[in-house]
Amino acid sequence: MSDPILRAAHISKHYTIGERRAIVLNDISMQLEAGEFAVISGASGSGKTTLLTVLSGLDKPSNGRVWLDTQDITDFDENRLAPLRNRLIGFVFQAFHLVPSLTSMENIMFPAELNRDPDATEKASQLLHRVGLWEQRHNRPEQLSGGEKQRVAICRALINNPQLVFADEPTGNLDSENSREVVELLLELQQEFNTTLLLATHSSEISDRADRVLSLHDGRLVDNGYRQ
Amino acid sequence: MMIHYRFLLEELRYGGKQVITFVICVALSIATLTALNSFRRDVHGSLIDEARELQGGDIIIHAHQPISDKLQLAVDSLAQQNYLKQQKTFEFYTVVLSEIKDSSLLSSIKAVESAYPFFGTITLTSGLQLGEALEPGTVVVAQEVLDRLDRAIGDRLIIGDVAFTIADVVAFESMRPVSFLSFGPRIFISMTDLDQLGLLGRGSRVEHELLLQLSEPGDAEDITKILSASAVPRVERVETAASARSRVRTFFDNLLFFLSCISILTLMLSGIGMQGSLSAILYQKQKVIAVTKAFGASNRFLLTQYLIMVSFMGAFGSLIGIGLGYTIKRLFPLLLGDLVPQGVGYAFHPADTLEGIVLGILVVTVFTLLPLHRLGTVKPVMIFRHETGAAKRQAAPIITGIICSLFLSLLVIRQIDDVKIGIFFVLGLVLLIATVSLTASACLWLLKRAPLPTLALRQAAKSLYRPGNASRSIIVTLTSAISVLLVIFLLKLNLFATFIESYPENAPNLFCIDIQQDQKDLFQAVVGEEVLLFPVIRARLLSINDQPIDPVQERERKTDNLGREFNLTYRENLLDDEIIIGGNSLFEGTERLPPGVVALSVLDSIAEIGEIELDDRMRFNIQGVEIEAQVTSIRSRTESRLYPFFYFVFEPATLEAAPQTFFSAIHLPRELIPDMITAIVAQLPNVSTINVADVADRFGQLMKRLSVVITFFASFSIMAGCLILISTIFATRLDRIRETVYYKVLGADSNFVLLVLTCEHAMLALFSSIMAVIFAEVAAWLICTTVFNIVYQPHWYVAGLTVVCSIVLVIMIGLTSSFGIIQQRPAVYLRQQNGT
Repeated sequence: MSDPILRAAHISKHYTIGERRAIVLNDISMQLEAGEFAVISGASGSGKTTLLTVLSGLDKPSNGRVWLDTQDITDFDENRLAPLRNRLIGFVFQAFHLVPSLTSMENIMFPAELNRDPDATEKASQLLHRVGLWEQRHNRPEQLSGGEKQRVAICRALINNPQLVFADEPTGNLDSENSREVVELLLELQQEFNTTLLLATHSSEISDRADRVLSLHDGRLVDNGYRQ
Repeated sequence: MMIHYRFLLEELRYGGKQVITFVICVALSIATLTALNSFRRDVHGSLIDEARELQGGDIIIHAHQPISDKLQLAVDSLAQQNYLKQQKTFEFYTVVLSEIKDSSLLSSIKAVESAYPFFGTITLTSGLQLGEALEPGTVVVAQEVLDRLDRAIGDRLIIGDVAFTIADVVAFESMRPVSFLSFGPRIFISMTDLDQLGLLGRGSRVEHELLLQLSEPGDAEDITKILSASAVPRVERVETAASARSRVRTFFDNLLFFLSCISILTLMLSGIGMQGSLSAILYQKQKVIAVTKAFGASNRFLLTQYLIMVSFMGAFGSLIGIGLGYTIKRLFPLLLGDLVPQGVGYAFHPADTLEGIVLGILVVTVFTLLPLHRLGTVKPVMIFRHETGAAKRQAAPIITGIICSLFLSLLVIRQIDDVKIGIFFVLGLVLLIATVSLTASACLWLLKRAPLPTLALRQAAKSLYRPGNASRSIIVTLTSAISVLLVIFLLKLNLFATFIESYPENAPNLFCIDIQQDQKDLFQAVVGEEVLLFPVIRARLLSINDQPIDPVQERERKTDNLGREFNLTYRENLLDDEIIIGGNSLFEGTERLPPGVVALSVLDSIAEIGEIELDDRMRFNIQGVEIEAQVTSIRSRTESRLYPFFYFVFEPATLEAAPQTFFSAIHLPRELIPDMITAIVAQLPNVSTINVADVADRFGQLMKRLSVVITFFASFSIMAGCLILISTIFATRLDRIRETVYYKVLGADSNFVLLVLTCEHAMLALFSSIMAVIFAEVAAWLICTTVFNIVYQPHWYVAGLTVVCSIVLVIMIGLTSSFGIIQQRPAVYLRQQNGT
């Protein structure tokens, strides 16, 4: 068995709100193999998004450590994390988070341009064709529907051919029709790009299609998804 | 009306930096204007309200020749009927010598009667009254005379043909509130000594004054009318103390007018800053407002709360502004130095405070209309929106723009006290802003389409279109503010370059005037070389093409006027620095002129003022003799420098026989000038000399001081521009944070974010400063070539330096204000977006 692409050991996360200490993640250990499609499931407030942000290096755990492609990123500062986010990781968010001043094409190209990829335009064009948004390439986010925005966000996440894609409730803001299309697309592209996908959702339809489902309850990992 | 105090308090508390920016904008908008108006009131109080003290009488009769018999009879008649008392004064410049004739000094001599003055104060160091100290054979002098001639009380001075004993020193003279407008220090002599001086010969430049003290000061207007009827038109001026325009008053009117224009610009820019910071506050509160509305708060409720909040901030800003205005006023003595008239105080009066408050209320009301109006456009559905759509076009901005323009117009008219100039100023301002705005739009449009080479540049360019970024407003503001500063600086440089620094080595630096016909040979002998003597004939212009010259109207001109006395000359050739720009030669076609009409060559600068063209007919009064002339040529000067020039040149045959004096311009090594003046005055006491090098120095010092004052006021405009930049950064803070987070999530490091922000601000500064340089160069060129009539040098290194300094300043402000944005951690923002 190869080295895991992502590994977390005893991670906890807590916030202090006023005088109250809220424990969002509690002693979570897990790992993810390359090419795997895993889902983090759980009820609202169970800590899915927080776990995703900690695992992806967007946030730091209060305790425990996180390894990404064998590198311990726990103590990495923003500038050391930047190249990892750019080349190793892709993100898809529930709220899309597209740069409002950029067109669809420019949004997709952006990570490749940061990576000084001379083929950025060509890759973005291919992806736009692939997801059927070539006609909308000059549209800004405000001119796109929710489904279109999410497809642009998926393209943006994949343009640098990352080893790992984090998706946080990617269908949370979409209707059922668009949700189905986006999930199909995501899974197709995961196969095509041979990337690892960690997706946070409370949708059982998506969970059913995952290789593994990690269940969270009140910040604790109650099931790591491995068949016993 | 329901006031929710807790809501208000929380809004203020969480408004943070935007609230502070708003308050500073309010303070800045009223500070300079309040200080300036307070100073204006003091100056006017000193120069106008106490006009009798300044002028020395209730009515002043002024002439450059002896008062006519007719007018004198009218005055005597009223005096006999006990309507008034009268006294004469004579004033002129001459060079005085020390007793042993080893040093000399150009001085302003005033011959007065024993009762002088009727009004005002002359304080002597001895404590005596002027009449007591000034006996025949003595002089009372300004301290400067003693200092510069190295003399003391009891020593003797030679004026004209007479030696006088220095009896006392003048400590204060209310009729001479400032010294910088005079060529020499004051010397009082007794009227009984005047005739012995031998200086009042033909062509002497003596100001004859008759001061009248009325039994009933309220009759001043009526008596002025009666006496004016007896006065020689255009020669004798009869004015009340209140209406008499002194040079001091004209100087301060012009200076305060200019400073008022700059202060209004500051007010306008601060108003834009105010609008920006309030928009930032409300933009940040959009969700709170939407939620409040969702729970049933009416527009009226919200408007009331924010109106009270704005009023509170406005009141606080106004108080700070009044305090700042007071501080600025206290700085006036430091800034203006000896330009400030004696007796002007620096107290801050209740009227100044009241004006500050009223101005604060008006400014806040006018400039917060638009953001407060937009409260109504916030819909509860915005709770669910994450991205901002394009704003719909509405009538409100246009209506607000009209209200702002009206407010500014009224303010300008009130400040400048001249409707025509006020309207021109506002139109000019609107034109400038419209031009800058259009150019800014064009630049931004081009930038949008420009193939920029790096990602950071492209992202920076995109950021300029960020909703609410107000890139155009920032460019307009910075351009306007930098333009004003640069124009002032370029004008100063050009005036210096023309009159001081590049004054040719061999150019004349000593002017000698009032040389009599029979003194020509002696003058040449004293000077020791053959020098060119220009004949000078005093005359007045009566009409152009039979249109009479109205001296009253002419005096209103801000440039030279046609109502004054002119110096005519005659010669056959052009001077070395002259060219013909109208006609073919000086007196072309003389033979075709009708009998009784003579040929005349006119200088282009006066031709422009009087709209004089070739073949126009002009009528002159040459000391009682009228002649009619036809313009046969128009001349122009090829060099702008201190060199003798004449507006009107006749053929020798026309004026040779007229009463005349001579003028000469000599070049000497600078260190020899004082000795030459001493030698000339010792031999020819009636000849007046002007040390041009000295005059240039004084002019340079005056220019430097004025430049400091104007730059000080203009720097407030720059501050206002910076505040707009800061308020815009605050207004778009959330968008900037979002972009920063997205960049970081997608793999950009802090350096990239920093680079994008730097490029964004550099682009703003680059556009603004380049446009400012273009506008300033054009404006300064226009002013130099049309108003000052001097050759213009663009001083490109200054322009380059302006661009560099602007970029550095804007980047520094931009990055300092964005520090928190650069440091933003993605997780914090994303968590907020998810509501966790």
